[in-house]
Amino acid sequence: MRDVWIAAAAMTRFGRRSETLEDLMADAALEALREAGREPTALVVTAMDPEEFVGEGNFASHMGTYLGLSHVPAIRVETATSSGAAALYAGFALIASGFHNHVLVVGGEKMTHVSTPRVSEIISRVIDPHERSYGATMPALAAIVARAALAKGLITELDMAQVAVKNHANGARNPYAHFQQPVTLEEVMSSRMIADPLRLQHCCPISDGAAAVLLTSDPTGTKLAGMGQGSDYLAVRYRDSLTGFRATQDAAKAAFQMAGFGPERVQVAEIHDAFAPFEILSLEDIGLFPPGKAAKAAQNGELTLEGRLPVNPSGGLKARGHALAATGVAQVVELVWQLTGRALGRQVKASVGLAHSIGGLATNNWVTLVEQVA
Amino acid sequence: MEMVAASRCPDCGWVVAPPVRICPRHPVEMTPVEIAGYGSVLSYTTLTAVPEGFKPPLHIAVVELPGGARIFCHGKETRQLKIGRRVVIEQVDGIFYFAHLGLADRVTMFWKRRGAAPQRTTGAVKSAVKRFLSVYKNPPSGTAPPAENGTRSNEEEQNHRPAEKS
Ligand SMILES: [Zn+2]
Repeated sequence: MRDVWIAAAAMTRFGRRSETLEDLMADAALEALREAGREPTALVVTAMDPEEFVGEGNFASHMGTYLGLSHVPAIRVETATSSGAAALYAGFALIASGFHNHVLVVGGEKMTHVSTPRVSEIISRVIDPHERSYGATMPALAAIVARAALAKGLITELDMAQVAVKNHANGARNPYAHFQQPVTLEEVMSSRMIADPLRLQHCCPISDGAAAVLLTSDPTGTKLAGMGQGSDYLAVRYRDSLTGFRATQDAAKAAFQMAGFGPERVQVAEIHDAFAPFEILSLEDIGLFPPGKAAKAAQNGELTLEGRLPVNPSGGLKARGHALAATGVAQVVELVWQLTGRALGRQVKASVGLAHSIGGLATNNWVTLVEQVA
Repeated sequence: MEMVAASRCPDCGWVVAPPVRICPRHPVEMTPVEIAGYGSVLSYTTLTAVPEGFKPPLHIAVVELPGGARIFCHGKETRQLKIGRRVVIEQVDGIFYFAHLGLADRVTMFWKRRGAAPQRTTGAVKSAVKRFLSVYKNPPSGTAPPAENGTRSNEEEQNHRPAEKS
């Protein structure tokens, strides 16, 4: 297997954007190509649901033509809300296998022009049909997980609120973030209840945005050191544990095995905090903290920009925003900027970063390790 | 006692509900079975932001039935609910409901599902009749009936099981 390197990383600001999906993806893609100074030999695109959100199909060819790349092979990859990470994995595999030398990976989503109930309905299709027929939405399933985690003492309501406060504080320093304002503990804990015990300020927003990475077989110093995928039953009710995600545990094991190092080398992490409790539970699933210890670390300030292991310096899904298929790519863009000293205003000191992406209600998850070796 | 349609894997013995064709753990066709409609609450939530076709607040619980199958169900409220609490399941028009409810509760609850008013009323009546039959004619065999509203029986205390396998 060949080593895979990152030649360029770019993204648009996340948020409520007036541009089309195509233009958001083009903005990120062209900036990555300019930075890399070369054209790709293959294109991997991802949008979770362009058919419903913007009414476009045959999306790989659609974007290939829009980007002026119809002459290179193009594929579209989709694994629900982790589609961006899945697209990176496909690009990684194309290069590691020797099939291609330079692969452009572009993820994007455009949703804010659609009404919120309609967006929720479209996103809810990632849920098991029996569970969905009872009105289960993504926040509902996340609430069921959170309720079980509260009952087991893995997290408290204060811990959940502090995730949102920390990530908004980071987002306030990130010009690419959807929300660039801090929130207070009181604001989070008194925000509108969505799905008891989850409140509005525990949940990520609906964002537009795009991100792109150019992967290459030529050493650049920034190495895609390991990638792992893990999966689980579509149905939450089939799982042995409601409070730990097997898909994350398996993804992390595979990624660390490929990289040849363990969680102890990770110095910065972008975690899929679509719902605040997921940040704490995921840190334990990945192995960055022993079971039952992540909440304590968060309380001690270890996860802040100045802490031992900064988590979600970008602001995470909560504040940077969650543009579905763009998110998994944007997490890696943030890691590249952090590892190469380009994360102005929120820079941490790190040479190994980890990105974690959850697809659906943890049915198809990914862990990606990026290492700066030069 | 209400019986819930489920399926069992001939290879690994796993039981899931509602029935599915293939075992989620193995590519093996499952066989239909029925399981008793009572169990313990694994987790629950109350939705204030609900999808189209539902009215808030919408109460959802995940209940583990005897033998380990879990189902999603609706209820009148979750305020009295606790993880580990034992509830009965009833099924009306293919929808599972948890808890032990009086007629008034039942009418409010059915009003929350999608459908025209006459259908809702029929649902509430069917539910009331079913409850009458199940409680007064078919007490669950081999197990004490679950505790009444809000009162935790000794039996419930003794049979309290952890919310989930660790
Ligand atoms: Zn089986």
